[in-house]
Amino acid sequence: MDAFVLGLDHIATVQTLMAIVIGTLVGVTVGVLPGLGSVIGITMVLPFTFAMGQMPAIALMLGVYCGSVYGGSISAIVINTPGTPQAAATALDGFPMAQRGEADLAIGWATAASVLGGLFSVIVLILAAPQLAAFSLNFTAIENFALGCFALICIASVSQGNMAKGLMSGVLGLFVASIGLDHVTGDMRFTFGSFQMAAGISLIPAVVGLFALSEVFIRASEARLPKPEITHKVGFRLPALREWKPRLWLLLKSCTIGSFVGTLPGTGAATAAFISYSEARRTSPNRENMGKGEPDGIVASESANNAVTGSVMVPTLALGIPGDPVTAVMLGTLIVHGVTPGPRLFSENIDIVYAIFVILIAVNLVMFVVGALGAQAFTRALRIPEPLLMTMVMVVALLGAYGVRGNALDLIIAFGAGIVGFALRKGGFPLAPLVIGMVLSQMIENSLRQGLLLTRGDFFAFFERPIALALFVITFLILVWPLLRALWVRRRYWKPS
Amino acid sequence: MKSHIFKLSAAVAGICLGTVAMAEFPERAVTIVVPFSAGGGTDITARVLAGPMADALGTEVVVKNTDGAGGTIGAAATAAARDDGYTVGLLPVGPMTTQPHLRNLPYGPDSFDYVCLAYSAPSAIVVRKDSEFNSLADMIEFGKENPDVLNFGVQAIGSIPHVAGLGLADAAGIDFTYVPYAGSGPTFTAMLDGSVHMFVAHVSFLTTNADQVKSIALLSDERISTASDLKTAGEQGVDMNFPIWGGLVVPKGVDPEVRDKLETACEAGVNSDAFVERMESLGTPVVYMGGDEFESFVRAEFERNDGLLSAAGLKAE
Repeated sequence: MDAFVLGLDHIATVQTLMAIVIGTLVGVTVGVLPGLGSVIGITMVLPFTFAMGQMPAIALMLGVYCGSVYGGSISAIVINTPGTPQAAATALDGFPMAQRGEADLAIGWATAASVLGGLFSVIVLILAAPQLAAFSLNFTAIENFALGCFALICIASVSQGNMAKGLMSGVLGLFVASIGLDHVTGDMRFTFGSFQMAAGISLIPAVVGLFALSEVFIRASEARLPKPEITHKVGFRLPALREWKPRLWLLLKSCTIGSFVGTLPGTGAATAAFISYSEARRTSPNRENMGKGEPDGIVASESANNAVTGSVMVPTLALGIPGDPVTAVMLGTLIVHGVTPGPRLFSENIDIVYAIFVILIAVNLVMFVVGALGAQAFTRALRIPEPLLMTMVMVVALLGAYGVRGNALDLIIAFGAGIVGFALRKGGFPLAPLVIGMVLSQMIENSLRQGLLLTRGDFFAFFERPIALALFVITFLILVWPLLRALWVRRRYWKPS
Repeated sequence: MKSHIFKLSAAVAGICLGTVAMAEFPERAVTIVVPFSAGGGTDITARVLAGPMADALGTEVVVKNTDGAGGTIGAAATAAARDDGYTVGLLPVGPMTTQPHLRNLPYGPDSFDYVCLAYSAPSAIVVRKDSEFNSLADMIEFGKENPDVLNFGVQAIGSIPHVAGLGLADAAGIDFTYVPYAGSGPTFTAMLDGSVHMFVAHVSFLTTNADQVKSIALLSDERISTASDLKTAGEQGVDMNFPIWGGLVVPKGVDPEVRDKLETACEAGVNSDAFVERMESLGTPVVYMGGDEFESFVRAEFERNDGLLSAAGLKAE
């Protein structure tokens, strides 16, 4: 409890409170604009955080993150184009509601469900993160290696669509992060004698290029779509309390799904929203109406995707392992601001951890007010001319890329990554595994080599440690699960004959 | 006609150049390059120093973080900066005296003119509070009886703590397995979980983590007031002096007058209340050296570390 008070103390400054409000406003705006997702939102505020103190910087980022996940629902409802992939499922029922002239009510449902989902996941974070951190505090290099393998496999198995392409992206990420100084021997790798390359490809310029610049390039390469006409009455109307009653169970279930999915590495809010939506479609008493403007669909999708926002911070804060590109950038930015996530953060700077909890709660409350008062205003962002918007994205994103290390090479890296990101997206390669690969690369490699130094080169000693062994076994099972399932299905199929 | 224009432009250029040379340094903001990221120990020290230095110089002093490759990117940026005195590097011991031996870098001790040493604190060999080692002798004895058992955590290959470990192993006739972790935090964690037996840390580490660690030797010629009962390695029969220091340098060729102004500002900064307070919070004495003294100090450290790294086979071809 004392730590909570300390956390409150941290954020009770004008700068931090303003950062929470501004962050949420920016986040919702970015969320509303199709194509500019949470990652681009965070990279865009990055340069502004350099001039800020630690707490306002963290508050700004968390505000942008949570706000953007919610903001996507507004455009999903109003123009049937989800502002972020996370809100894709929201459009399924949100837009039909808007067509019925109930856009205000749909936004009301979405806002309330988002805020409740967000708050639910903060509770999950508060309960789970310290436990996980305490559990992992005694992880040695060997357990860290096992954990890294586990995280890597999870990413591969959730790369929707094409597993091979997902794996290739992941491997590319692992490789890119190995450029530069080899931490274990002090040697240089893949620098081709260039001194500047010794610093390696750092995460933030790479992400800026992969996500923000590639988005700009894609927009530039495609024919411009006509501006969507907003014909519906946009506003904000909270559903009546009696409307909520039969949906409480659905809400709770969706929040739980979202929070659980969020803790898994490599997944994210979009996955959570779709799982939750299909679960609602399977079990909701109103399932007949789903897809035709049933509030259940909005509640399922929006509470689940916002329930990811807190729980995705569990592995990020407790283990220092980000679950998706958004938290990867956030992790990088936290480190820039002198906060290194991981178990030690909980034992040494618990006040910062609690400040993050308090900020997340505050952001969700602000989000409600912002949604209630400003839903109308945010749809105006959709009228910003695209070339203007893209130029803005480019300038601000490049500022962020340069500012992290003050190294001009990072601008070249960002541009290079932008071109690579553009090519990968055109080729249907998912970008998330690449970023996660980059983040995990050093952890996996260094912990493997540290472990081998400690065991004097004996790899079998890795399996003598129970936690590491358990993680290896789980990793192996996840890896062979699709194979086992295929075998099992085939055997059943053959039996009758 | 042509030659008139030429003469005219030469004259104009001459006037311009003359004005630049005559102008009083500093006429714009001075940048201190910190070769590590914001929020770290070096960065905080630089920011504390920047305030009083700005007052002394009568201009703004901006801290710029140029992070990467163990501090060498920032050091190289300082060496390559324009030699007008507006770019100053706060370069610590690692990028100055160990990194140039590890690989070919576009700078060395000759790339700089020296302004001042701003801080220097002893390092110490740290073990777990419950460790059976209570003195250097305990540890050396154990190392001799149990070869290939002692693990020595290092914050980075070729860092001062690593060099200190090499020096200790050499002097005591024992072997360590050096396990590199990413910085002091992870190295400390690895010691707490029993992966490594010891590591070398800034002396302030002993006060901030007093309930979890103890030290078996101070790697300094003299004891320190904040831990007055901690014996130096020398007192225990192994002469070792591995201070963790940092100082201001400018690119080679800066006008000596400008350099002197920076030195005066640095001295004022180091003796300012804010800076003294910062050093006290770290539990270390305020140490200052002028440019000339600092230069010979850097060169001596550079030579000594060259020897230790060469002996360990870590020296670049």
